[in-house]
Amino acid sequence: MAGHDISWLSAAETAVAIKTKQVSPVEVVHAYLERIERFDGLLHAYITVMREEALAAARQAEQTVLRGGDLGPLFGVPVAVKDQFWTRGILTTNGSRAYRDFVPDADATVITRLQQAGTILLGKLNLSELAMGGTQEPPWGIPRNPWDLERTPGESSSGSGVALAAHLCAASVGEDTGGSGRGPASYCSAVGLRPTFTRVSRYGMTPMCWYLDTAAPMTKTVQDCALILGAIAGYDPRDPFTSRRPVPDYTACFGRGLRGIRIGLIRELDEDAGMHPEVKQAIHNAVEVLRQQGAEVREVSIPLVALAGAIFVGVADTEGAGARDDILQTRAAELDRASRTRLQAAALVPAKVYNRALKARVLLRQQFLEALRQVDVLASATAPAPPPKHTALTAPFVDADDVRSRFFFRRAYTGCYALTALPAISIPCGFTADNLPIGLQLGAGPFAEDLLLGVAHAYEQATPWHTRRAPGIEE
Amino acid sequence: MALSKEEWCRELARLVGIPLMEGEVAEVAERFESLMRELERLTQLDLAHIQPVLVFPEEEA
Repeated sequence: MAGHDISWLSAAETAVAIKTKQVSPVEVVHAYLERIERFDGLLHAYITVMREEALAAARQAEQTVLRGGDLGPLFGVPVAVKDQFWTRGILTTNGSRAYRDFVPDADATVITRLQQAGTILLGKLNLSELAMGGTQEPPWGIPRNPWDLERTPGESSSGSGVALAAHLCAASVGEDTGGSGRGPASYCSAVGLRPTFTRVSRYGMTPMCWYLDTAAPMTKTVQDCALILGAIAGYDPRDPFTSRRPVPDYTACFGRGLRGIRIGLIRELDEDAGMHPEVKQAIHNAVEVLRQQGAEVREVSIPLVALAGAIFVGVADTEGAGARDDILQTRAAELDRASRTRLQAAALVPAKVYNRALKARVLLRQQFLEALRQVDVLASATAPAPPPKHTALTAPFVDADDVRSRFFFRRAYTGCYALTALPAISIPCGFTADNLPIGLQLGAGPFAEDLLLGVAHAYEQATPWHTRRAPGIEE
Repeated sequence: MALSKEEWCRELARLVGIPLMEGEVAEVAERFESLMRELERLTQLDLAHIQPVLVFPEEEA
């Protein structure tokens, strides 16, 4: 199998090709390393490429294949992770000069579990500084969206989105505080899942926001997403918030069809005046596909979702400032100007206002759970517009209205699931006339990832979007 | 005498122990004002009987 043929495979297909000895783990790793060598100088997906470590792991995996035995569904698959996950002995920058020398002495639980599943770690991926978004001058280069190099791949798991769209890894794990995994997935035509808050251990994942951060599987296909979640989910004594619920087979709902599934289009997000017309049309088309597959589709109302952007920033930025208090007090000059001024402003928010945001979060959760008594799955766009140009993202704010539209408005779409601790997934659902990706977001009740993945898989199998390749990355 | 928003911001930062960079006080003040204005929208909600939680209990689901 030729190198470029290998890199087009999904993670699940790669594992099958290895298991059936069509290709060796060493050949697979070489294929990805060659693509990284060729394209990453332009794309800036990686901060650290673990070439020697990955090749050593691949040679070891090759011996395991030759010995035979029960190889798991991700065995030998090259993965890359957001550089927010601690890797023992390997630089972990969190996208910030403030961490340019940070070499952890332990692996994050997510890293350990990926290794236990037999995956091979290719490297650490670029991100917005401190997983926040809005970085003006990323220290390790501006990650470029393979679908249009002038446009952002989304934030903050930007490198994960780029690496998947350019096939520089077979699968990735990013992180999602308020959409940091689903946003880049949407902008890069990939799959991104935010699990239920307590589903995956956060041990060794540098915090952006103590009570919102989750690890986020990001993949080429829904099946890969289910496999990665199955590998990393579950109780971890080093993260006291992780659930003791057993981890199900997340592919179990595949192939069951959608008959009897109730899907609710969130009216307040669908009717928002800021929604781009091509995005709105793509979402309506996607919902129609779900209906044709047997789902019952209706509108649902969640009035408070209109304020979710404000609630999210009220909770996340103030907690983020608290989590970075040491840096703000003594090393603020090491931060990018946008991160620094954003955190400094958030540090000044009075406790009364923060508590109000926390209360509003509870009310929002009540409204989501009420909607989820009427339907099984919620639907909306992942982002109200296609990926903007880098220059639009980093331009100084003009006035308060500009702040509202660029900073608060778009956060309602993904931030609502973070605030309510519910699972949500973004899957490709089309392209604009300019060939820019559009993402469909589906959400569900607590721990209903299996249902969510089943619906997403049914949609994916009925549509061609996940098979389209970004221009300029073919051999 | 009323403080300007920059002076107000500088004083708040001093109280919480966050040093601001001299050329960026106006930017921090602008961001802070925008943040507070947006969060002001939450005062329209009736939150009197709601108790905030940090992590939602599993049994509630």
